[in-house]
Amino acid sequence: MAVTDTIRRTAAVATKDPAPDKPPNKFRQALPQYAAVSPFFILFAIFGAFPVFFSIYLSFHSWDGIGPMKWVGLEQYSYLLTDPQFWKAITNTLIIWVISTVPMLLLALVIANSLHNATRFRSFYRIAYFIPNITSVVAVTMVFGSIFSNNFGLLNAFLQSIGLDKIEWLSQPWGIKVAIASIVAWRWTGYNAIIFLAGLQAISSDIYEAAKVDGASPRQTFWRITVPLLRPVILFTAVTSTIGGLQIFTESQVLFGSSGAIGGPGDGGLTIVSYLYDNAFGSNQFGYGAAIGWALFILIVLFSIINWRLIGGNDDERLTKRAARRANARIAEQAARRQAGDAETEERKELTDAR
Amino acid sequence: MTVTRRKFLALGAGSAAVAAGLSGCGSRSSLGASDELSMWCWTGSVNDDLIAQAEKGIAGTSKKLSMTRIGGDYKTKVLTSLAGKSLVPDIIGINDDVATYFPNADQFHDLNELGADKLKGDFLEWKWKLGITPDNKMMAFPMDTGPTALFYRRDIFEKAGLPTEPADVAAAAPDWESYIEVGKKAKQAVPGSAITDNITSVFLYALAQLPQRFMTPDGKYLADGDHIRKAWDLAVRVVKEGLSANAQDGSTDANAVVTNGRLVAFVGAVWWAQLGPKNAAPKTKGLWRVTPAPGGAGNRGGSFLAITKYCKDPEAAFAFISWLESSKNQAQSFLDPVLFPSTPASYTDSRLAAPDPFFGGQQIVDVFADSAKKYPGAYFSPYDTIIGDALKAELVNIEIGSKTSDQAWRDAQHQIDRELTRAGAI
Repeated sequence: MAVTDTIRRTAAVATKDPAPDKPPNKFRQALPQYAAVSPFFILFAIFGAFPVFFSIYLSFHSWDGIGPMKWVGLEQYSYLLTDPQFWKAITNTLIIWVISTVPMLLLALVIANSLHNATRFRSFYRIAYFIPNITSVVAVTMVFGSIFSNNFGLLNAFLQSIGLDKIEWLSQPWGIKVAIASIVAWRWTGYNAIIFLAGLQAISSDIYEAAKVDGASPRQTFWRITVPLLRPVILFTAVTSTIGGLQIFTESQVLFGSSGAIGGPGDGGLTIVSYLYDNAFGSNQFGYGAAIGWALFILIVLFSIINWRLIGGNDDERLTKRAARRANARIAEQAARRQAGDAETEERKELTDAR
Repeated sequence: MTVTRRKFLALGAGSAAVAAGLSGCGSRSSLGASDELSMWCWTGSVNDDLIAQAEKGIAGTSKKLSMTRIGGDYKTKVLTSLAGKSLVPDIIGINDDVATYFPNADQFHDLNELGADKLKGDFLEWKWKLGITPDNKMMAFPMDTGPTALFYRRDIFEKAGLPTEPADVAAAAPDWESYIEVGKKAKQAVPGSAITDNITSVFLYALAQLPQRFMTPDGKYLADGDHIRKAWDLAVRVVKEGLSANAQDGSTDANAVVTNGRLVAFVGAVWWAQLGPKNAAPKTKGLWRVTPAPGGAGNRGGSFLAITKYCKDPEAAFAFISWLESSKNQAQSFLDPVLFPSTPASYTDSRLAAPDPFFGGQQIVDVFADSAKKYPGAYFSPYDTIIGDALKAELVNIEIGSKTSDQAWRDAQHQIDRELTRAGAI
């Protein structure tokens, strides 16, 4: 048997071409394709990936931008954690994020709903709501800066005309937050409304008709059909708003950048990114700036996970699991019942047998 | 455009050539062609006619100038090019934070080695000293200065029954104490009147009159000293007397208080004439006057030029900057864009002595020249920005009412202590 095996093998080798001895070089074959897609990856490696990794390295150093870099280990991070300004920046950012995102998303949902039901001038309304988003944030901020201006702002003029006292919006820490939050909300409400609208249009009208037939009120339709079916879209807007909200920068920079203190009076508008910018490029503490950047990264990851858990994520899975559990329970129950039934019949059999 | 194979190849070849060109530049450390001296400055830092002359050729050399006016983030861009060690401009402008470059003075030529010490006598002594590092290297060459004076609205002073002529106003407010009294009177007559836009201005201009700032040249910390606390308390007092317009720097209000006449007097540097009333309130033309500031002569602001160590031809670069900053050319730079000369010889130049219609035909140069000559000068440390920023931020907290003066002072000192420890300064 061993002999025939050898013969067969040599025969196989002999019939093959000598070249395919080496398997064809797949990489070389695919080279033109790799070359074609390489520009993106090369540029990404230089301008995307390298800075990311370099900033990790940088965050363990003290560097003023010109002189030699000095290794300081975890000192930047420990300074960060004990820096009251850093914690203030985090609180500010979170407050601005909450007071801008929550009303913004609610309003966007309402707007999307009415846009969805609008019959006339539909495109006009859609464009009108989207325009704030493509307007330069710097220009918007300057306009809002004039609206909220302490002495001669439009808003104060309005307050005074209806007999109220004027409020020094841009000098009070909370006034600054309201101003920034309203800029953010003004810019992004329309954008989110358009996203919601797209989600709404994807919901089949059959469901609504069925609801109508069943006699559901508009409110019930909205809360029991629209909102649950929009969940994935709401999750998307919530996550993007979180990422955007934690990176608020331009607003404080434009409102207060030229004042020397980027956070404005009492650091009321100091956000994490403006704090980063001020340290890295204002005070030339590049190592510290890198450390703040990484702290921000961790924060964003954290909040994205919370969002994911809260609004959607593996919700479907959770539902299926629950359903599966219920089904299992039912099966077990039935089985138990059947067993009990069997026992009963057996008993009965025994009884009849005994009789 | 349809991308044909030929076009694609041409494009590829082109970008390869660009890449090769870039890496070729990497081997050369100075920016610009070999017969050009490159210079970076921010907008409005030089007289354009003079630069245009130098761009045709720098007298006495074979080089010509190539100047770039950098828009925003000037310092970041300069630091980036210095950190990159390639394509560094030959000459850079430096603002009044010149001392923050002292720890890296090895990036620049010692101008004394190029013959700067021969020109020392032409310049204001205190200005000259600001460009010299603690170990006696001349890193930066004087450009303009920012002598301070008291600006006031003659019409409103008249209404309030206050003295109106410059000499009388100066006599009525020789120090900050009497200046506050003047402000109170103006406020009684014209409600809402303010003598400062905000709390930090008083602090900074009072500080700008002192012979000492935040640190000594040998690194001893002074910013918790009595002289700083006095300027601090003065600023707090002006606010407590209700004489501040509470218009924080950089806000739209800062211009508005000038436009609508709330700001009836202001101790400011010479450049404020342009930034403040002339730009923000052109309608107040003829209503302003200038007189020596309460509390004495002072200086705030003023810039410098430095030659980087990457410079192609340091001698030619020095020839250029000493020509640009000669007393004759500095006089021209005062006319446009209003840079106040650091060379006393310019002050008697007939072009400067012309009456200024915006100030009712007053010869405002005399007032500022006097201030520039009398200013005692003070040492700026590399850490003055850190210290000053912390103090300013806490002063604002007092003005907006979120902290008491003592609490803000403690917090400022604590913050400064932390930052200076990290910077290795103390």
